[in-house]
This record gives sequence, structure tokens and C-alpha cells, in this order.
Amino acid sequence: MLGDRDILIDRYKQFLTAYLSGRTEQALYRAQQFSRKMLEQNISPEEVINMHSTVLQTINGGIPEEIRDSFDFLIEVMMGYGMAYREHQILRDKQKALESEIEVAASMQQTLLQGDIPVTDKLDIGVISKAAKQMSGDYFHFVQNRPESINVAVADIIGKGVPAALCMSMIKYAMDSLPEQENHPSMVLENLNRVVEQNVDPAMFITMFYGNYNTDIHRFHYAGAGHEPGFYYDAKNDNFEEFMAKGLVLGVSKTTQYQAFDKDIEEGDMILLLSDGVTECRTSKGFISREEIVTLIRSYMHLNAQEIVENVYSDLEQLQDFELRDDFTLIILRRSV
Amino acid sequence: MNLQIQKETEGNTDKLLINGEVDAYTAPKLKDTLISLTEQKGREVVVDLSGVQYMDSTGLGVFVGALKSSQQHGSSLKLTGMTERVHRLFDITGLTDVMNIEAHTKGEVR
Amino acid sequence: MAAQTCVDVRNEWDIVSARQLGRDLSKELGFSSVDQARITTAISELARNIYLYAGKGKVCIEPVKDVNRSGLQIIASDTGPGIQDIRKVMQDGFTTSGGLGAGLPGVKRLMDEFSINSSVDIGTEILITKWLR
Repeated sequence: MLGDRDILIDRYKQFLTAYLSGRTEQALYRAQQFSRKMLEQNISPEEVINMHSTVLQTINGGIPEEIRDSFDFLIEVMMGYGMAYREHQILRDKQKALESEIEVAASMQQTLLQGDIPVTDKLDIGVISKAAKQMSGDYFHFVQNRPESINVAVADIIGKGVPAALCMSMIKYAMDSLPEQENHPSMVLENLNRVVEQNVDPAMFITMFYGNYNTDIHRFHYAGAGHEPGFYYDAKNDNFEEFMAKGLVLGVSKTTQYQAFDKDIEEGDMILLLSDGVTECRTSKGFISREEIVTLIRSYMHLNAQEIVENVYSDLEQLQDFELRDDFTLIILRRSV
Repeated sequence: MNLQIQKETEGNTDKLLINGEVDAYTAPKLKDTLISLTEQKGREVVVDLSGVQYMDSTGLGVFVGALKSSQQHGSSLKLTGMTERVHRLFDITGLTDVMNIEAHTKGEVR
Repeated sequence: MAAQTCVDVRNEWDIVSARQLGRDLSKELGFSSVDQARITTAISELARNIYLYAGKGKVCIEPVKDVNRSGLQIIASDTGPGIQDIRKVMQDGFTTSGGLGAGLPGVKRLMDEFSINSSVDIGTEILITKWLR
């Protein structure tokens, strides 16, 4: 340790003498490189000043007493900076550890979220879900429990990041434990509502849309709990309309009842489900309107459902300068035949 | 973004005037003020939202929390002066049916 | 070797006296200027904590000897409210956010040895040591 210090002082003296004799830019460049080296070796600011003072006393016959003592004053002044610097380094290491923990949790969440998206020749399905931070508060889930019966759930948990992700795991678990209700959207919501009301912080709530698609009769049976409205595309009239099921968000009142609705789906019709990350897109010019999103979807409508959601996402990402403010989920169900 | 909260007290009624954006960053500040008022039995809390141009779901959560707190502690909570954009949020989430919201809304401020 | 010397800490001026005592002793023992500054800064922080949070207490300083080295030991003690959660105050970024300077973790890093004893309603004792290199 002592040896290292002597070498450093020796170097410093060499560089400083070189600078004082020529005052060249090259010598200053050396100083810059030297500072990087000192940072690597955790040399604190007060030590640098001490080094400077020590070296000055050995070259050109030393320095006046007054200047030498003034360095003691400067060392004292720099103590606070030195302490702040060391604390900063420790906090930076802590942050790294925290980030790697979150990364592990995020990949766990990914495995939780991942479910197979049903494949059927009667329904063209496209899904995209992106987290604003490492962990997502958006949730979606598909279950095909009979060849003709496909269930879809989209949920948005208030807030983002770790707390939202924790809450999402709870929802996932609660959903998995209710298989006998899977085809009854209003019952699914009523049960989840009780789970959320009991287990979650009072200021936290969840919005959800739940639907059951029967591919034999092409009827969509659905219910909503305060979820951001989606869109319905009526192919025959070439028209987009708002698609929502009214209902109170999950977690506000124990006794909330949810109403289910039915819709008959015609060939070429599309059901678009989304999270508010889609409609809350903010650009430098303000919020993106729902009409603008419809225009975007229209421009990709000739593609298959997966290509549509991917293109819409990449366009919206670009409009926001690649900075996602909220988790983003977009699902398209299009009746093929 | 900033959030300003002004409080006017008249007898049993506290009126909060809110200006700015209610989002994940400003919500904790509003939550502290609002919850401490709704925890007082018999208190009438009126929140004027006419100065709020933007609210996200975390902001909405503060009002859900305040609603539960007022039901639990026997105080009352009323929201007034919502802009169209904010009102839409309460409408979609079904909260307009369970909260006391004064119908009058102003045009959207962007 | 000189015996223990103490300074009572009741007001802000006493912080300066405690520093002065640490400065004189560390100079006498042959500490470098940087180490002198570290020792006095640590004393300063501890004395300030006593003044701000306990109201009164004392800082005692004495030279110490080990098998093959010598150094300076400082004991800062008070009969103040004590510290509820020591683990918390020893966490980086905890006290600094409240504007209390470098806090105890900072003091610990300035010195070679650090130990703390605190009981609620009884008081706090902090012992720090710096060895001559």
C-alpha cells in the first residue's frame, strides 16, 4: 500500500514538473489520464491535495510557508467532498446489487406471464406487451379450456414497477385457482375483486377486462372492471367504435357485482383490447388521441393480427422518442372464417 | 411536474384547491394531505380539481384511498370542477357511481 | 504516554475545542496532514451529533498502543435519548438525506476502527481509533 502511494507521488511529481517546465497541452492531457488512474485506485480528493502540496515542497526549492499551510486549509475544506465521494461509491455499488436483484425478479415475472397464445384457424390473435420499467404492471392471459372456448384477460395494475409486479403475481395465482369459473367473466371479476379488496393497499386498485370467445358460434361473452376501453372493428361497415364493459375497478368495494355482455362477431371483425399505456402515449405535442390510434391501426389492417400490434407499437414507440412512460399492452382478436 | 395544494377551512368543511398534475410523482403529497383530513370524523372534505389537467392511475388511487378512509372514519368526500379528461378517467373506472362528484365539468384544458 | 484528555460538549464552541485537542494530539503522534484532517473531521462529526441530538456529552481522546503499532483513540459519549435502530443509522444514505453531514458511516470510513453502543433513554457511546501508518 505504502509502495503504491510512493509510486503515485513520484508520478505526480514527474507530470507536474513536466507541465511547469513547458506548460503544454500534452502535459495537461497526462494529468487527465492520471486522474482516471487515481479514481480507479479510490484516491480521495483530500489525498490529491496532500500529494500536490508534498510534491510542491520538493521541487524548485520548496514553497513559502504561507502557501504550504494554506494547503492544510484546503484539505480541511475538501474533507466533506471526500466523504461525499466515498459515500457515492458505496451507494453506486448498492444500486448495482439492487439492479441485478430486480433483473432476476423481472425474468421470474416473464416466466409467470408467459402463457401460450391459442392457435386456431377461426381466430387470428396478435399480442404485444412491453414494460415501461423492468417489471410490468400490465397483465394478460389466454386460456383455451376447450377446442372452441378461448378466454382472454387483460389487466392493468395501478402504478408501475416492483409493487405492481408483486400485485400481478397475486392476480395470476388467484386466476389459476378458479378454473371452474373460467368461462364466466362476471364471476371471475367478482372473485378477483374480493381477493384484491382484502389483500391490497387501500390506494391500490386493478382494472380488468375479461372475455370468453366461442369459436363455434362466434360469440364473445365479456365483462369489465373499469378497464380502459378498447376498440371494435365492424368489417361490414368498415367502422371502428369504442368497445367497453362498464364496471367498477377491482378492489374498491367488497360487494361489487359485474354485468356480462354478449357480442356476435362477424367475419373480419376485430376486438382490440389495450392497457392505458396505449392511450396515454405522450409526445412533445401532447397526448395521442384515440382517433390517431385508430388511424394507425387502419394503416396496418391488411396485415395479420400479430403484425398489426407490432407495427402499432413500434410507431407509438417512435412517436414517444423511444421512451415508454407506462406499460403497454395491445391484443387483437380477428375472426378469420 | 408540480402540484400545488391550497387549503381553505370554513367551519366543518375543508376545501382543497389542487393545481397541476396528479401522477406517480406528486400523488404521495396529495395523499398525505387528503388522508389526514378524511381520517377526522364528521369532516366534510371538498376537492376542487378544476386546476388539474392531467391525472394518471396512481392519482386516481389516491382518491380511492381517500374514499375508503372517509367511509371508515365517518367523514365525507366530494370532488368538484373536473376537466373532461379527468372526468373520463373517473367514468371509465366506474368511480363516478360510487363517489360524490359534482356533475359540472369544464372543457378540456391541454 | 499522555493520559486521557476530555472535552465536555455543550455548545458549538466545544466542538472547536474537541477538534483542537484531536489536532494537537494527532500532530504530536506524527500523523500526516491528511490523517490529521480525517481525525479532526471525525471528532467534529461526533461532537456535533452530541450537541445536536443529546444536548450534552463529552469527547475523550487518548493515545493507544498495540503490539506493533500506535495510534489515537476517541470516545464520544452522551446520556441523550440513544439510538433506536443502530442498523438504520449505519446505513449509507440514511442520515445524509436529512442533511446531517456525512453521518456515522462517513465517520467509520475516515477511521480504522469503529464501535457503537447505544441504549434508548440511556445514551450512546462511540469508540473510534486511527492507527499510525
